[in-house]
Amino acid sequence: MLLIPIPLLSQGTYIDENALQPAQVNTYWNWGDVHTADLHMYQLDGIVDRNLTSEQRAEFFRMEFSKLGLAASTQNYTFTTSKGTISGNNAYAVMSSPRAAGTEAMVISASWLSTAGHGALNVRGISTVLSLAAFLKDYSLWAKDIIFVISDDYLHGMHAWLNAYHGTIPSNLHTDPLEHISGVIWTALNIDYSGHSFSHLGVFHEGLNGRLPNQDLINSFRFISHYTGGLPMTVYDHLEPADLVDRWSEWSVLPSWTPAFIRRSPQLQQYEYRARNVVRHIGYQARGMCSGVHGLFHQFRIDAITIFAVPAKGPHGFHALGKIVESTLRTMNNLLERLHASFFFYILTSPGTFLKIGMFLPSAILVSVAMLFKGLGEWVDAGWVREVSEVSLKGTGSLEKEPKTKDTWRNRRRPMLSVLITMVATHVLGVLVFNLLCSRRFDENRSFFVPAILAAVSMIPPALLPLLPKNTPEVAPSSVLLKSSNLCLASTVISIMSLLNFSLAAMLALTMGVPLATSSRSSSMTTSLLRYAAYCILAWGWLVLLPEEVESAIWNWEVLGVWFAPFVCIVYAPLVMQAGIVCLQGSS
Amino acid sequence: MLRASVWISLAYLLTPSLSLENYKEDLRVQPLRDGRVSTAFSFVTVLDGVVPRNPTALEQPDESQHYALFPLTLGQILREYAITELHLTLNAGKWNYDDWGHPLEASVRTGAELWAWMGASEVTTVDERWSGLRNALSGLFCASLGSLDSRRTTSPVVAFPLSGSTPPFAQHELRHASLPSENVCTENLTPFLKLLPCKSRAGLAALLNPQKVFDADWHGMGVHVIWKEGTGVELKLTLQAVFNPARSSAGKRRDWSLQSLFDRSIERSCPVASSSSVSVVLPEEVNYQITPQIAHVEGSAIYDLSSSSNSTIPSNIAMHWPSEHSFQYPMPPLQPLTPLSVKRTLHGTTQTRGVLSVSITNNSPQEISAGYLEIIPALLTLWMHTLEVETNSEIRSDLLSDLKYQPPSRQPNGHLSPSMVQAVLTIPPKSTLKISVEVNKAFLKYTEHPPDAMRGWELPGAVFFPLPQSANNISSSYDWEMIYTPTLLVDLPTPDFSMPYNVIILSCTLMTLIFGSFFNLLTRKWVVVEIKE
Repeated sequence: MLLIPIPLLSQGTYIDENALQPAQVNTYWNWGDVHTADLHMYQLDGIVDRNLTSEQRAEFFRMEFSKLGLAASTQNYTFTTSKGTISGNNAYAVMSSPRAAGTEAMVISASWLSTAGHGALNVRGISTVLSLAAFLKDYSLWAKDIIFVISDDYLHGMHAWLNAYHGTIPSNLHTDPLEHISGVIWTALNIDYSGHSFSHLGVFHEGLNGRLPNQDLINSFRFISHYTGGLPMTVYDHLEPADLVDRWSEWSVLPSWTPAFIRRSPQLQQYEYRARNVVRHIGYQARGMCSGVHGLFHQFRIDAITIFAVPAKGPHGFHALGKIVESTLRTMNNLLERLHASFFFYILTSPGTFLKIGMFLPSAILVSVAMLFKGLGEWVDAGWVREVSEVSLKGTGSLEKEPKTKDTWRNRRRPMLSVLITMVATHVLGVLVFNLLCSRRFDENRSFFVPAILAAVSMIPPALLPLLPKNTPEVAPSSVLLKSSNLCLASTVISIMSLLNFSLAAMLALTMGVPLATSSRSSSMTTSLLRYAAYCILAWGWLVLLPEEVESAIWNWEVLGVWFAPFVCIVYAPLVMQAGIVCLQGSS
Repeated sequence: MLRASVWISLAYLLTPSLSLENYKEDLRVQPLRDGRVSTAFSFVTVLDGVVPRNPTALEQPDESQHYALFPLTLGQILREYAITELHLTLNAGKWNYDDWGHPLEASVRTGAELWAWMGASEVTTVDERWSGLRNALSGLFCASLGSLDSRRTTSPVVAFPLSGSTPPFAQHELRHASLPSENVCTENLTPFLKLLPCKSRAGLAALLNPQKVFDADWHGMGVHVIWKEGTGVELKLTLQAVFNPARSSAGKRRDWSLQSLFDRSIERSCPVASSSSVSVVLPEEVNYQITPQIAHVEGSAIYDLSSSSNSTIPSNIAMHWPSEHSFQYPMPPLQPLTPLSVKRTLHGTTQTRGVLSVSITNNSPQEISAGYLEIIPALLTLWMHTLEVETNSEIRSDLLSDLKYQPPSRQPNGHLSPSMVQAVLTIPPKSTLKISVEVNKAFLKYTEHPPDAMRGWELPGAVFFPLPQSANNISSSYDWEMIYTPTLLVDLPTPDFSMPYNVIILSCTLMTLIFGSFFNLLTRKWVVVEIKE
């Protein structure tokens, strides 16, 4: 896995879909439109100063769209979660393109809050959308309807809008059906421009539950940004080492005492830059989080990215952004069918290079396969017992260095019932814990529940263990059987996950690979108890150590439907607990 | 020019025509409230005293056809297949009923739509003649009408009744088909213009500049042949376009003129036209100016362009709003211009099932009864037991009556015909009726996918039509015409046809084969079995 950021493994990006034709058009966006955008920005600044409510804001946006003659409307929504209700108002407008049947649509969106965080408002992003609406409707070359969405807050506004648009309203969302509806949305652009000006345009692409948009969209955007806008694209807001000649040392993780020739080595700088991108990618993808508003689109088979104007002192502004968005829309407009080439699995290591699935998948799959072999090995070992002539030694796989006498191998029974019960019980325990975490009471008495849950999950297995049947020499020890099935199950989980969400599989391979394979019983009680405690911390320690993560994962599950939280509670933690039980069983 | 027209008139008089032919043309221009301008051309040729061909006598030679004004190419098709009534429309865009009102020509379905009434006959069946008609028309109009085969053909007689008279000679049958994905462009306009007696050289048709017509926000053309007892066969060629002057003008003004809309002007009138006129529907507001000035008749200004009239041909007709700096769009809430507003969506994001939902809003203070027709290709299976009618979030099954459902049936050529749902809806005043039905999406054979497989399949729009009996009860102010809903796109389960996917499948298969045989070799033991005798 450490090899992933090495430049040699990556290959250059290319455009697979011929219809896209990026950066092949003359753009019409000019300084007059920039002026419109500036005017919108002053109006929005006024709104920010006057502290208007979400409803008043949405009404303002709707009026702005209506002044352009677009079919505009607002949407009020309320989410019910265990922490109370979240509500807001979105504004949107549909531009029916001339002569088009209205069967397909593209979305340009901006959220009220920016990806940049710290409460940064996406004022300039919204001004760009409003002025684009005024600009784009004056052209007859659109083959798809264009939908402009200004969503409230950061994520939940767009989530409510998308669900209402597709008629898939979850039970905890209350909203009215949308007044104006266009066709099937194929592609979407989300504009995030919170700073004063920008030097680079960053692309954020990770979606919910590890989904990625078709890479053609990112590649076309890179082409357009470079050739039409004349400014470089970056991955996230990470600037390339070449752009940070003087300031690289501020970014670098290498400590200042390392020799200068190491710090200035271009290869090492490249490696570090790529590693940062990969780590950030895995950070988003493994947790199933989206890196921006665009990530909500992917679950509806809409390819979407966020264009993030990386805040800087200059030199670019509305002029470059407008041109690039116009050209990107023209490219998206060229699509004759949905983006479909198998371009959905990749890791962007730098703007111009990416890793194909064949390059990164083995890193997780190899661990998984190793675990499978180990598990199968344990299973085979459990089935045989070695009998050394007179002195019968029962051992699972302990090698006898000097076989003095002729020994025979004897088959023994492998009773799986108790093992299966143990495994199912741990998963049921995970379900219970998860339900508790999602309940309102947990949120109210966090300081009481966290230690209580931790104590319960760590005490229940040792308390229930004596209930299981004792080992007899005639049958294989249940700890070995448990370890074998635990390894096989974990390996299956990792290999399945690697196709759905590579980063999560990689994280699982890291956290479960070695610990699960090395779980074993120990002769002394203290060692096994210590080991068991270590497994418990690995399984449930995040409850104490990462309270913010727990909170955000549960929010993501309840509002956005990210299955990372249930997965950890119901699949990951029980698997690690089973390894802990293996240690306990040996000692008892 | 005068001499030419005299010669043409002479030639016209000397033509040995058995029937009297009459040609009229007119153009109606209507400024709309959203700044757009709707224009509708209609070119009508009437063959006096001609009766459609009797299909039972198809084997006998037909009477000879001599036309001076009626297009021979179309006339031959009509006689060959014994068509009593024919309607063909080719439209691009979706008609915005709420802002534009009812179109002057009601058939505005997106893409191609063709329906014909034909007499039944033993000689050649209706279906054989329907197939011949499709192919002949697709050749004539350069449109893919040939693909309107049995997968798209139905017979919705209530929604598409015979608009002329019924000839006495045979029982008549309807064939109807539509193709939403048909793109309408220049190659369809050129053959259309060829059917006109003056082509595009004189008269109103001179305005039809493809560069401008196909830049409009909406455009469509239609061919309608009907037979009226006592009058004869009437051929009506129509062309409608909705222009957006506010889009194309520099100052974003809604001022228009024939010159600015079409970039052409009428220089001479069509000499064979018995009447030729341009009528401009005047807006209700008063701050406009129209040139040249003319007396208004019933809210519209009518300009006579025919060669027989004494007035000179106005070179340009223009309307402008001098007090307006740039056009201000009317602000919501706007009352829709039609009594019914319809929205139709296909919900659900999975590729296997979804929910088709239609919401119909009655904007008038009267109850409206509407016929509802849904023709759905066999790609979707409707689960009729899940049909729900809801208004004000309560289920009102009594508002839907006379439900007729015709499931897809297997045709002799192996294709499945579309399913058809017909019903009568009663929509309470000032309220919205919601109909929803669950659908299953078909899993196609891989050869049945089109080349652009990932685009999805188009679902033709539904039709809402006034019922014949209810038309009498309702006062004229809430009179309404047929309403088409926009086309929908259905995502069917589609395999990834791309190359890498195929490579993965192939190489995985190969790997499995190799692994399987190696595994066999490694785990199996080859022994010689000695058979004891």
